[in-house]
Amino acid sequence: MPRSQPLFVVHASSGVPIYRQLVDQVETLVAGGRLRPGDLVPSVRQVAAALGVNPMTVSKAWSRLEADGVLIRDRGRGMVVAQRQEPASLADRREEVRPLVDRAVTHALHIGLTPTQLVALVRESLEEHRSCMHRPS
Amino acid sequence: MHASPFVIETTGLVKRFGLRTVLDGVSLRVPHGQVIGLLGLNGSGKSTLIKCLLGLLRPDAGEAALLGTDSWQLAAREKALIGYVPQEATLYPWLTVRQTVAYVSSFYSRWDRAWGEELVRRWDLPLGHRVGPLSVGQRQKLALVLALGHRPELLILDEPVASLDPVARRWFLETVLETVADGVGTVLFSTHITSDLERIASHVALVRDGRLEFHDEIDALKDRIKRLRITAPADLPRDLRLPGTLRSVVSGSQAIVTVDGVSEPLLAGIRERFSADVLVDDLNLEEIFLELHDAESAAAATVGR
Repeated sequence: MPRSQPLFVVHASSGVPIYRQLVDQVETLVAGGRLRPGDLVPSVRQVAAALGVNPMTVSKAWSRLEADGVLIRDRGRGMVVAQRQEPASLADRREEVRPLVDRAVTHALHIGLTPTQLVALVRESLEEHRSCMHRPS
Repeated sequence: MHASPFVIETTGLVKRFGLRTVLDGVSLRVPHGQVIGLLGLNGSGKSTLIKCLLGLLRPDAGEAALLGTDSWQLAAREKALIGYVPQEATLYPWLTVRQTVAYVSSFYSRWDRAWGEELVRRWDLPLGHRVGPLSVGQRQKLALVLALGHRPELLILDEPVASLDPVARRWFLETVLETVADGVGTVLFSTHITSDLERIASHVALVRDGRLEFHDEIDALKDRIKRLRITAPADLPRDLRLPGTLRSVVSGSQAIVTVDGVSEPLLAGIRERFSADVLVDDLNLEEIFLELHDAESAAAATVGR
């Protein structure tokens, strides 16, 4: 069941093509958890009518998002948000985060935090994220 | 069934009025399903092109065809598939709205009576009123009813919104879009209001001095043409030439250059060659339109020197 329908806003006279504006907005909604895997996005026709833009433009945005793996076509229902793709292995995922951790550690040591203080800081951050994730929507 | 895959097709179309060449070799192909905006300054030849397409004017050279049939040979069968809203609709002022709809619909075997009545009702057209004293907006709405009532496959609109206020314009465009969503198929409309075109058109054709400058997706145009703001540590060459330059203004160590065909290698090249910072501005259709016309006048000024 879709929860409240996400609202899109486009500026026709922006230099950014309208389809790109829609792609960005859907990606933001997905990244922010406002649209979740399995959620139905409004049909091309609904969005085109609501925004007063050409249906082909909306169709192009949805196709682009499908090609990028953000949306998938669910026969009979329409376009839904895809399951998030996890990186292949733990090693890959570690590699992806490694440079960020290195930078944080370097910076922390540079400004005089002790290793214990740094670990405490990471724990705090994890704690905050956990409570965010468990917040009822 | 149409022999041609193109709903609209012209090849080397030329139209002269006396000594003045209004269309100077226009070749345009529009496949089914495009909503194409014809953009150009006043007097650039938009209306003449439309009239040649509809067989209202006879071209001096070249060919024009709609729905696969030569425009000059369009018969009732093809015309029954075309809807046309002229710049100023010819309406009989003494007829009422109801009589006007009845009169025009009698010419079309395909007229969808329920749809026509629905449009009249939805747009609050006063059925019992005479057409003469109607406001410009109401006359345009009526003209659109007359153009849509037979559910055309091709809709041609000549500056349909020029005389409408913003609310009526928005309404008008939404109606056109709605009919596209319903499968009308192809729409061609001329305008010089770029924001309308950006909203509803999939494609744009730029007409300048009787020539077709560009025909492509609006998004493609926006992706191609960008304004670069270049800041270098030292003075830039006065005659800075970048590939695809439309317009270039150099002032000391700064330059503003509009290019057709921006790319990462191009930007990297500039950064490297001049150790410069390059900012890329997105341009909307109006800015692109102005840049293209500025480029023209700048080039003309150079030649004239």
